Parts: sequence; structure tokens; C-alpha cells
Amino acid sequence: MMKRLACPFCGPRELEEFTFHKTVAEPGSSAFEAVYERRNRVDSSLEHWQHVAGCRAWLLVHRNPTSGDVLDVKVLG
Amino acid sequence: MHARGAGNRYSAWSLLRARVAGSGYWQRMWGGAKLEPAYDVVVVGGGGHGLATAYHLARDHGIRHIAVLEKRSIGLGNVGRNTTIVRSNYLLPQNHYFYEDSLRRWETLSRDLNFNVMFSQRGVVDLATSDDEMGTLARRGNAMRLAGIDAELLDAKALERFVPRIDLNVPRRFPIIGGLVQRRGGCVRHDAVAWGYARAAAAHGVDIIEDCEVTGVRSAGGVATGVETNRGFVKADRIVFAVAGHTGAVGDMLGTTLPVETHILQAAVTEPIKPLLDTILIYFYAHAETYILQSDRGGMVMGGALDGFPSYTREGRWSRLEEVVQGAVELLPQVAGLRILRNWAGTNDMTMDGSPIMDRFVFDNVFLNGGWCYGGFKAIPASGAACARFVATGTAPDLVRHFRLSRFADGNLLDERGGGPFPARQ
Repeated sequence: MMKRLACPFCGPRELEEFTFHKTVAEPGSSAFEAVYERRNRVDSSLEHWQHVAGCRAWLLVHRNPTSGDVLDVKVLG
Repeated sequence: MHARGAGNRYSAWSLLRARVAGSGYWQRMWGGAKLEPAYDVVVVGGGGHGLATAYHLARDHGIRHIAVLEKRSIGLGNVGRNTTIVRSNYLLPQNHYFYEDSLRRWETLSRDLNFNVMFSQRGVVDLATSDDEMGTLARRGNAMRLAGIDAELLDAKALERFVPRIDLNVPRRFPIIGGLVQRRGGCVRHDAVAWGYARAAAAHGVDIIEDCEVTGVRSAGGVATGVETNRGFVKADRIVFAVAGHTGAVGDMLGTTLPVETHILQAAVTEPIKPLLDTILIYFYAHAETYILQSDRGGMVMGGALDGFPSYTREGRWSRLEEVVQGAVELLPQVAGLRILRNWAGTNDMTMDGSPIMDRFVFDNVFLNGGWCYGGFKAIPASGAACARFVATGTAPDLVRHFRLSRFADGNLLDERGGGPFPARQ
């Protein structure tokens, strides 16, 4: 179960410090698809999060939504 | 097909006959059906919507060969994990007419299914903590009344009369100033709904197959020919997906996108206590939300907002549970000393506008009954009837026509909350 996220700047922090913003669209999506359509892969989800109650960095988080494991956290951009 | 027996009809008379006949009189409610190689309609998902769809297909449309394929067992999915509330207090006409149809069906469901679903019209009260909220509630109530649905705006005095246990003088960070009540709203015993529909469907000849997981759809020439399962291929003329929180996963299985994300919703129930609350309270305060009711067994059942990020895990985050309990204690300080007996989470197929989807899906003979977000339970009777009619006649009934998939592309969103295309915020 996901209880923490490892911020690249601050290290592992409680999940409550972070806010999920949105799921990243599949490559090659149109503007409409990017807003309204989701691929919903059961083993992989690429998301934008922000370390709102911390350093406020925007993060690119790769998770497995079925197991709850965090696969990778990068600084966005 | 298999020998299934018509089953017992439940009545005072059958109780007497059972007394005379002794043990062995009562028959199994469902089960024992054998998976056939081919069906007219295969319904994937043995939850409320799937069972109700199958029941109406058999009862109203005379379709003979129907199977409901359930991955696990009847009653273990969302139909048994929700907080049992039914209501039709929606703002948008497309929503309130549909949910009102459902509420009317709930009112007669025990008779229709010959199974007591313990429907209790104890009222559903949305509470307001500001004048702005009172205005929003008044608008919603007026929209409902124009549609002939009962709604009543309560000022503080009227609210105290309706819910004597809320002491409005208790100091609260967000004081309650009134509310909107739908007296015909209430709750239903969710397990009984699953069992009642399963029994009624089986009595109409539907094969209910448990422990049968669908792993794919086989097609030929642009038409679906059947489903692949862990028990082999099952041929089907028409396929209905009614898989609730796994709608997104079905999209993944078929390699297509959907205007759906799966999110987690939590609930909790306390140890049972003597009667405290004879209605259902919904309390929005600042960023948070708590709703609470007392079950027939006496436990205080409570829930709140979504966990806030996509997940299939059915594991809720602690902070959300804490927030729900805080809201419950602020609302009813009497519950502060109670112990939580159970807490759990369910997966919700959240759509981009918070309204459901009932449409053809990928293939012309495959139907999707999903996107019910966290409000699927109350929709079961109307959804089953409408989906069955859609599948049987090939035309979407007026009540659900606007729940089509293309509404996102053509701009006819049913954005009940006006929150934009963010599933986590619906």
C-alpha cells in the first residue's frame, strides 16, 4: 500500500503532503483525448503530482495502480 | 440449460407449507447452473447492474439463453460494499428523471422480486453550512420539484424538528444552518438486493455462473462472437459489461480508451448502538465531506470523499478515514466514543463528468453499463430495466439516451457538480 512518496528533493514523505493532479495522456493523443480519454492500464499509470505541503515541486509519478507500488518519481519537466 | 426448479415463492403460505413439509422444503436461491457453450446474451459481472439487466432481459423481453458470468461470488463486489443509500435528489433533468425512475422501482422492488430488500424511506438530508450552500440546495430542490420529485428546504428550526439529535447549538467550525431533505430517499439492505436479483433472475432461467472470469472478447469481421473465460470460450450474440470499478480494466483488456478513471471510496461502520439517527445526513464542510446513517443493526455507517488518485487496490488512505470520522464527530458528538468495527474501500469507475455511461462499446453487439461513479447502487433497478431494453431492442431508451459515450466529444456533458473533467473531484 502506498503510504509515502519519495520526493526527489525532500526524500520519502507522507502521502498527505502530495496532491494528485492528473493522469498523463498517452503519447500521440489529440487535445480531446488528453482531456477526456484514459487508457486505464491496470499495471501502469503515469501521473502528475505536486509536493504541495513540501517543496511544491511538480512531479512525474509512475505507479502500478493494481499493486499500489510506486515505480518511479521524477521532477516534472 | 439445466434443471433449476422454479424456486420457492416466499409468503406466509410457504412458511406454513415449509413447517408441514419439514427440512428440505426450501430450495437454493440460485446456483448449480452449468456453463453452456453459447448464449443469446452474456452479461459480464454478477453485481447489482449485471443481475438486474439479466433479470429484466429474461422477464420483460423473453430472452431465453442468458448467462451472468461473475469473477468471484455473487454479492462480494460493489453491490455489497456500498453504504446502501438510495435517492433521486439530482439537479440535472437527465439525472433526476433517471434516478426518480429508480427510486420508484425501489419502492416496489420487494414485491417485484418476492424478496424483502428492507427498503427504508427514512429521508436523505443534505446539510448546509453557509447561505451560499442554502441557495445551491434551494436551486437543486426547486429543479426536483419542477420534475415532480419531493424535496423540502429546511431552515434551522425545521431541521432540528426533523433531526432532533443534531444539536445546532453545539459549537462547530462550520455551523449547520439548514438543509434539503428528500423524504422518499432512504436505504436498502444491499446484500438482499444482490440475493433478491440473483434469485429472481435464476427463477426466470438465467444461468448465474460464479468463479468465471472473462479474460477477453473474440471477434470476427468487426462483430464480437463471444468471450474468453477461465473456463474456455463462450459464444454470445450480445455481450453486456457491467463490471463497476473494473470498467477501466475492461477498456484496457480491449485496448481502448474510456472517459473513465478508477478511484477508491472508503466507508466505515462502528459497533452497534441503540437507535440514534433515523435519517441519513450528508455534511459538506470546507474541503471535506461526511455522510452518516445508522444501519438496522445499529452500527453507524459513514463515508466521505474519494481517496483522490487512481487505484484498483481497495486499500483506503488513512487521512481520508480520519477526515470522515472527524466530520461524523463534529456532526454528532454522541458518536465520539464509539469504536470502528470495520472499514473498507471499493473501486469506483469515475467518469469525466460524474454521470454514467450506457452505450455500445467497441463492437456493435457489445454494451457497456458503467461509469456509475460512487452512485451505482441507487441506480440498479432503473439501470437494469433500461439496459435490458437497450440490449433487447437495440435502441437506447429515452431515460438513458444521454448517457452515451459520445457526449464527451459532442459537448453534451452531464456535469452535475460543474467541476470540470477531473474524475477525482466529481
